[in-house]
This record gives sequence, structure tokens and C-alpha cells, in this order.
Amino acid sequence: MGAFELLGGGFAAAFQLWPFLTIVTGLLVGVVAGALPGISFVNAMAMALPFTYVMSPTQSMLFLGGIYVGGVFGGSISAIMINVPGTPASLPATWDGYAMTKRGEVKRALAIAVTASATGGLVSALMLAFLSAPFASFALKFSQPEFFAATVLGLASVIAIAKDRPLVTLVSLVLGIVVGTVGVDPLYGQARFSFGVPEMESGIRFVVVMIGLFAIGEVVDLLATDRNLRPKTEGGKQIGAKLADILGVKGAILRGTGIGCLIGMIPGAGATPGAVIAYGVEKQVSRRGAEFGTGVEAGLAAPEAAKNATTGAAMVPLLTLGIPGSAATAIMLAAMMLHGVNPGPLLFIMDPTMVYTIFAAMIIANVLMIGAGIGVAQLFSTLMRTPPAILAAFIIVLSVIGAYGVRNNIFDVWVCLAFGVLGWGMKRIGFPSAPLVLGVILGPLAERYFLTSLANSQQDWTVFVTRPISATILALAGVFVLWSLWPGLAGRLLRRRTRAT
Amino acid sequence: MAEPSVRRRFVPTLLPAGLLVLALILPGRMFSRDQSADVVGLGPAAWPGAMLLALAVLSAIWVARDLWALRRPGSEPLLAPVREEEPYAMGKALAGLVMIVVYGWLLSVIGFALASALFIAGWCVFGGVRNPLVLVPVTLIGTVALLWLFMGLALMPLPRGQGVFDGFSIWLLQLTGIY
Repeated sequence: MGAFELLGGGFAAAFQLWPFLTIVTGLLVGVVAGALPGISFVNAMAMALPFTYVMSPTQSMLFLGGIYVGGVFGGSISAIMINVPGTPASLPATWDGYAMTKRGEVKRALAIAVTASATGGLVSALMLAFLSAPFASFALKFSQPEFFAATVLGLASVIAIAKDRPLVTLVSLVLGIVVGTVGVDPLYGQARFSFGVPEMESGIRFVVVMIGLFAIGEVVDLLATDRNLRPKTEGGKQIGAKLADILGVKGAILRGTGIGCLIGMIPGAGATPGAVIAYGVEKQVSRRGAEFGTGVEAGLAAPEAAKNATTGAAMVPLLTLGIPGSAATAIMLAAMMLHGVNPGPLLFIMDPTMVYTIFAAMIIANVLMIGAGIGVAQLFSTLMRTPPAILAAFIIVLSVIGAYGVRNNIFDVWVCLAFGVLGWGMKRIGFPSAPLVLGVILGPLAERYFLTSLANSQQDWTVFVTRPISATILALAGVFVLWSLWPGLAGRLLRRRTRAT
Repeated sequence: MAEPSVRRRFVPTLLPAGLLVLALILPGRMFSRDQSADVVGLGPAAWPGAMLLALAVLSAIWVARDLWALRRPGSEPLLAPVREEEPYAMGKALAGLVMIVVYGWLLSVIGFALASALFIAGWCVFGGVRNPLVLVPVTLIGTVALLWLFMGLALMPLPRGQGVFDGFSIWLLQLTGIY
């Protein structure tokens, strides 16, 4: 049977009443969990795992797949509305999305974000359905040096965030990487920078840092200013997105989707590097690159498309090789194994109906996400009408719960509050906090892949440049840094030459 | 007249200078226990050591660049206090930060329910919401809803407080049907 027939069968199975309701429920759970700062969709998936015991293997995958797709988008709702990313991958949505909210264009920003996310997710789900096999064989060529190179590419793309201060951005990034080294190291089991505090030995979690840096600073600013986040209206209606707005960012959506599909396939890379790289590339490509960070639609659309494009792509190594590329796909693998299903090439032969029902569900979930996303966003938009003081009080309480919930530990709340005070101070002096957060997220990954690459190659440092894929990605990272820095360098040279003449 | 201006312009340079000092001190404070001598490979200090070195080098460049900028008329340090787009009440912001920190401390002492109710009410009053018909329901319904969502549904063991407050939290959780 061809892929079309199998996919048709998958759609027929997914459109039955219970499977369809399962997808919708998962999607809504994911969007809401993603939108709540600190209560990430991965936590929601982990909490949902026991419920899948009573489901059939296919139904459990539909449920978890729905949470996954909805959750990756959901993080952007709080990022756009209150400048607090619900998930790490939603960080780029704060840069241009929140700027649009401050202009009173929250509805327009959300419409662009959900359209871009759904398009990215849909394309990657279609790719999953038709191109799994060749992409899986490509993904199989990736090993620790390639994972390290991909993480370096993610770190390099942070330079693109730098407006005209790459040095300050680099300092912030390296500071974040240093914060990420706190706790037991990944290879030797030695605790670093714990200063005798037992809680420090288990490290500083990036979620805690992210909540502190973004939520607390923002809430204090809400208190100290008379900022009004209420959506502005035109003729009694909120400013929404017109078709022309969506068509205006179609290039950004397509580029973001392509980047997300490629990055998502790399096990371990995930949505965050995908979104950051897409933002960086879009900033260089866009004619309005210099205005990024002030509420440019393309700066919102590209990372949104990229992060949801990683969802289908991340399922490729999971379903075809049994390799989970992220925490979310690891939970899906666990659910499959709980039901006695072993993912891998044999699954396509033994149970193609199940595989293609999952493919169909991913496609359906991404289409339904437009409705679910707009519905939940409408609900959150209504919340924006509440007085800022009430909104701010609940953001703080939810942030504290989010920090506490990471390990059910009050120590994380204190770390979160410390970073909150730090983040507020950083905002006042114009020291960028986004590179710091990305350093805390990507730094530990880079260290783990770097050390394991060397350990696997008998400490041969050339392993990163002798492997073709790794060398290519590292070269791309180098090119990307130069590409990002070139406009600034060229401008400086031009000014110097003008001054000389 | 020029001297205070130079001094004020020098203030932003204190951040990279502080980071430079930190990057030079921290390598010696990396481990609080003795390390085994026979580590295979680069060892656990290699990555953080390299990052601290990078931080030191970058901070040194930053300091040098700022000092150079101070001597050149028209050049500015890399960091400068942001110009607020709207009037910013610094005193209110600092008081807000104190309230948040106190809330974090109170959580483990008097428990989540009581600390959150006090914080929500306090923040709302401070933020200008003083109508008791709004304040009381927002505080009470909000706190109970949060308890239900996180302790009831998500089964999160949020802090109950110490001593008498622990007893009060248990009573409240029983009253709301969560326990």
C-alpha cells in the first residue's frame, strides 16, 4: 500500500469520535499548560502519562501528540501577552511579539503567531508522513560531535540578537553558560560551584532562571509605570491580523518552517535552537532586520513557524529509529513502551495503521490548533482587561508556583526571586537578559556533547572538524557569526572612511 | 565641572569590571570537596574553566573599550541606564521587589495559602485596587482556585508552613475538600 492510501486510512481512524476527542483534549491541555509560565507542556505530558494506561496505544499517542503540538505553541501566548515565555522555545516571541502587545496589537500578534505555528507544524507533519524514511537515514548519521556542532550553531545565532553591541551580548551569553555549569557535571559526577549548599549540587534549572528574569522584572515594571496592556480597538473592534499581514510574512514563515524541520530532526537540538536560529536568519534576511525587536511581524512569524516545525520533525527519529530527540518525544517513547510498542523500522511493517494514524493526528492537531490557539488566546486576551495590579499579582504567584514545581523545592523559588531582582536591574541598565537565558539552556547541552564527543574519540580534538556533517555545521556557525556582524563592521568602516575623507 | 561627569560615565564600567573580578576568583572556588587526582580526559573543571576564561577576556575587552571611550569626546560606554518610555516610579518598583522577596520568604514560614492571599491582597492595594468588593473576592477566590488547581488537580506539594501555620493549612485544605 502506498503512503497516500495509508494516510487516508490514518485519517479515517483519527476522525472516529473518541480518537478525535482525544486529539482535541490533548491539544487544549497542551495550549493551556504551555501558556502558564513554568508549567511547561513537558510537565503536562509527564502528568498525562499515567492516564494513557487506560488508553489503547494509538489513542495514547494521539493524546500525547496533541499536548505536544498545542504546548509548543501555547508558550507563545504568555510570551506575547505578558513578556513571560511559557516555554524556552517561546523566548524569541517576547522580542517582537510583546513589542506588538505594547502597541495595542495583541490580537494581531497572536493571529500571526498561531498561523505561523500551525503552518510550520502542518508542513513538518506532512514531511513526517511522506519523507520519514530518507530523513531518518540522514538523522542516523548524527552523533555526539554533530549534536555539539548543532548546539554551537544555536549559541552562534544568539549573536544575531545583538543589535549593535555584540560584546555585551557575548558577555551575557557566556555568563549564562557559566550559570549553567553550577551543579554536578555530566561526565565525572563532580559538583561545581555548589559552595557547600546541597541544593546547588543539583544545579540551577533554566526554567527557574527564565521565570525570574522575565516575569518578575515585567511585573515590577507594570507596577512602576502606568503601562496599559489592554488591546487597542479600531471602530470598536480589536486590531486583528488581516490576510495581507499573513501574506506579508509568508517568506518568514517558509524560511522558519524549513529551519525548524531541519533542526527538529537532529536528536537533542529541539525547538529552542530552531526558533533562535530562525530568528537570527530572518533578522539577516529581512529588509527590516535593523528594526527587529521593535514589533516586526517577520521577527515573530519566523521563530513561531520554526518551533512548531520541530514537532513533526522530532517524531522522525522517534518513529523510524526509536531515538527520542527531546524530553517530549522521550515521554512519547515511554508511552509506546508501556503499551509494548517498540518504535523503529519494524513498526512501519508490523503496524502501519498505527503509524499513519499518528501522522494523520499530527496533521489534524496542527489544523485544529488555529481554532484552539485563537480560543485560548481570546480567553487570555479577556484577562488582559483586568486591572494591571490584579494581573501582576497572579503572574507572580503563578511564577513562584512554576519555579517551585520544577523540583518541588523552595530553594528554586529563592533562585527564581534572586534572578528576578537581577533581571530587573539588568533591564534598568540595558544589559540583555535573553542571551543569558539561552546560555543557561544551551550551555549544559554543549558541555555534555563536547565532553562525550571527546570521550568517545579518545580525546581527539579533531573529531569536530574531521566528520563532514559536524564540520559543515560548525562552518555554518562561523559564517552565521560573520553574517550577523558584517552590517555593524561595514557601517563602522564606512564611517571611518567618511571621516578620513 | 567635567570631573563628576567623567565619574558618572565611569559607573557603567563597574559591571564588566565586577564580572572580570568574578571570572578571576571563581576558578579557585569551583569545588568545595577535594577532587580525585586520576581524572581521565579533560576533567570536570575544563568546561567551566574555559567559560570563565572567556568571560574574563570579554570583560577585560569591555573595560578597556569603556576606558578608551571615556577619554574620547563623543564616545559613550557600552552600557547606559535605559531611557524609560513612560514615567517610572523607582520607589514603587523597589517596594514591589521587596514585597516579592518577602512573599518568597513567607511561603515556607506561613504556607502557600496564607502567604499568597496576603501577597495578592497587598499587591492589589499597593497597585491601586482598593475597593473591598473587588479586593476580597479576588484574594479569596483566587487563592482557593490556585489551591484547587495545583494542590488538588496537579497534586503539587506546595509549602504548608511551619508549626501552627501547618495546622492551619491542613484545616484549610480539608475545608476546601482538597485533603
